[in-house]
Amino acid sequence: MGVGLELHEKSEVNAFGPKFGLFDRVSTLFELVEKLPDEMSDAEVEGVLAVIPKETSKGLSAMLIPRLRDVSLIFLKTIGKWLRDAKNAPLEGKKSVLVPFCFPPEIVQAFDSAFPVTSEVLSTIGVIALEGQGERYFNMALGLGLPDHICSANAVEIGSMLGSDDFQPQAIISAAVGSCDINSKTHEMVSNYYGIPQFILEKPVDDTERGHPLYKKNFRRLVGQLEEFFDEELTEEKLRRVVEKANKASELMLELWDIHSAVPHPVPNLFALFTYGTRFAMWGTDEAITTMQAMVDTSKKRLKNGDYPAEKEVARCILSYTSYYFDLANLFNWMEEQGYSYIGDGLDLLWPTVIDTTDRDTMLDGLAMQAWNMPMTRQVGGHSMSMCWLEDLIHVAKMWSADCAIYSGHHSCKQTWSVSNIVRAELMNRINVPMLNLQGDSWLKRTTPISVIQKEIDEFIKNVVLPKRVGKKKVRKRA
Amino acid sequence: MSSVTVGTAMQEVIDHSEVVENEFVKKWKEGGGKVVGYTCVFTPPEIIDAAGLFPYRIRALGNPNTEIADSHLARFNCSFCRSCLQLGLDGTYDFLDGLVESNGCDHIRGMYENWQYVKPVSFFHYVKAPHVITDDSMDYYREELRLFMKALEEHFKVEITDEALKSSMEKQEEIKERLRTIYEMREGKNPAFTGAEALSLFLLASAVPDEEFIRMADAAIEERKGSSVSGYRARLMLAGAATDELELVRAVEAVGGLVVTDALCYGLRAFYSPLDLEGDPVEAMADVYMKDMLCPRMYEEYAKRRDFILGKIEDASVDGVVVMHNKFCDVHGVDNVQIRLDLEKRNIPVLALEKEYGSRADVGRIRTRVQAFLERIGG
Repeated sequence: MGVGLELHEKSEVNAFGPKFGLFDRVSTLFELVEKLPDEMSDAEVEGVLAVIPKETSKGLSAMLIPRLRDVSLIFLKTIGKWLRDAKNAPLEGKKSVLVPFCFPPEIVQAFDSAFPVTSEVLSTIGVIALEGQGERYFNMALGLGLPDHICSANAVEIGSMLGSDDFQPQAIISAAVGSCDINSKTHEMVSNYYGIPQFILEKPVDDTERGHPLYKKNFRRLVGQLEEFFDEELTEEKLRRVVEKANKASELMLELWDIHSAVPHPVPNLFALFTYGTRFAMWGTDEAITTMQAMVDTSKKRLKNGDYPAEKEVARCILSYTSYYFDLANLFNWMEEQGYSYIGDGLDLLWPTVIDTTDRDTMLDGLAMQAWNMPMTRQVGGHSMSMCWLEDLIHVAKMWSADCAIYSGHHSCKQTWSVSNIVRAELMNRINVPMLNLQGDSWLKRTTPISVIQKEIDEFIKNVVLPKRVGKKKVRKRA
Repeated sequence: MSSVTVGTAMQEVIDHSEVVENEFVKKWKEGGGKVVGYTCVFTPPEIIDAAGLFPYRIRALGNPNTEIADSHLARFNCSFCRSCLQLGLDGTYDFLDGLVESNGCDHIRGMYENWQYVKPVSFFHYVKAPHVITDDSMDYYREELRLFMKALEEHFKVEITDEALKSSMEKQEEIKERLRTIYEMREGKNPAFTGAEALSLFLLASAVPDEEFIRMADAAIEERKGSSVSGYRARLMLAGAATDELELVRAVEAVGGLVVTDALCYGLRAFYSPLDLEGDPVEAMADVYMKDMLCPRMYEEYAKRRDFILGKIEDASVDGVVVMHNKFCDVHGVDNVQIRLDLEKRNIPVLALEKEYGSRADVGRIRTRVQAFLERIGG
């Protein structure tokens, strides 16, 4: 439980007016997005982009290019609905719970009196869609004294929360304990700062027969704490309602995983982001099923027609951990246009499973395993950070015939940074897949410009990946 | 500048505490003894000792060179861990016969994985400490300690009996008793030890055989009875990240800030809580090493950490607190913000320092900031 630093006095910190916070701004923006027609012509898109701020236009234009437009509109509108539900939750007597991306939100969805708000999803929307790309909120977090090496995925959202009259949750679920110090620590501080409860789901760094039962106990403990906090029993019926929907979405994700294997890659690059955006925010809802179905349908259509945006598929890439989110057009779409398929990244390592809905126990156990298998938790929350991460990468690299891996090098990921050289070496040793280590901030454009990232990816593929594919070059001996 | 006459007993402590492989380690090895290294306070040294092995707490002693480690860890990893890894890979720690990892933080986990990947040690064991205290997690940790004992027994072909464990616990308590005495003597109205000297004594306690430490500590205590450090401007507390940097403490004290107490894991946090010598040894160790280490990687224990610091500020009549963390240290980097806010709310002066471990380039900046802090608090 938060111990209450009792320091937050909104009248003192909010010097910028009532609509200054990240949540308020993105939810207002998405109220407009929800009003867009389901089908839009090029001229209509051009018209919309012309009247919105430049950086908002940048994010939206990446999604609204013709080959992505239909699915993007569905995705954007479901995000809009999620934000609207989050905004209305207090008005409907529901408690808002801040959850991390590595936690299945469907557990909170199962309660009638609660609504999950995913911290990193909010940050990412802010970075993609807002003028200023969320940097002012990061600065607010630093202004409080937080170090500049905290994770921007959290700092953008919590900077807004701590520094403005923005959305404030009634509780926090901290599920990165065991797999990410900075995520856990940041949420602990928010809990203490506001004096709101923090419910912890710890992942033991133990993949043995001792680790699993402890995790299941930790999971049951969390469910009990939530029931007590919401004053609501999590009945079998309530669980089944969301688990059945989550299962349907998981089946669609599995279908998408199969389609990823096809050559050339029939799944648009940006779907990697849409997939986990949906998973982290909306699993267990009808909107998640709608979005996943749309992605599967479009990918199947591309598979059937043999469509590929470039003349040919040049390289099949897996981003080994996080991606870059501040310029979607110049990463995802640019790669696609070069023939560089972005099959997925570390956050797509979601290992979807269909949960047994026989009774409350089977569903809770199934959800516990889903939580265990969430990205980051499963890899760097494992017994060995390097080996658990490596094994998953090897599995998907083989399954999806990847030619290479790219580590984005988000500077706050200290756990992956600390073993990325082992992973790089072993990917090469074991399956002959080279990995490029980049450096940058996944959410903040100020650290490494996208042009530099493009250049490094391009040089890597042309100078390392492609020569490997055609065999070793003969090196002429010097005279 | 804080000063006190350094006699032969204290000089012996300082000399031995400033080298990694001291002459006692060498002697132990020459006699056929084995040494097992550990870093985090979640690894009970009593268990290693009860196996007839020498428990050595890994340190970097402010080593600023990290060129080998930097090709394995990244520059986004804390420089203390990079510095320790450097010494592991450059041969300084070749005297170790075993390594014990624990999941103190993300950086230290990476340090151990790289150490073992690049230069494997024949005995390598991972003590997994939960981050939250519950009945289930305590059961798990107790089982971890039993598995650790079993691993040592199997690898080193020894037996760890309850009697041996109790005897080791008693010896550790004798060591801790000396350290508590030294801290009482530095926290009093007329501090008998400087902060740097207290750190030397602490470092020695986990780097030499028990009887040698007790001999040297007793001599130093005897030598300092009735002595008092003079010439300081303010009484400071040092809190925050793991540090064994004698030069850092000396730099703070050189400008007149006498470090009279601390809340460090290479310091008071590691020994303030006594072991229960009467009950089951594993239960007793689990209680202290899980519940009382006050490490910010325990996510439901903030209030306990804050209250400990507030208590020590009172006990040691502290004028100001220096909270520091190494660049990229997440657990202390964020915890220190909470601590600073909470202390400032109580009008206790705080200096928050972010620094590079062992960096000589940082010393000038740190001195300037401490000087400014002393001016601010009127020292």
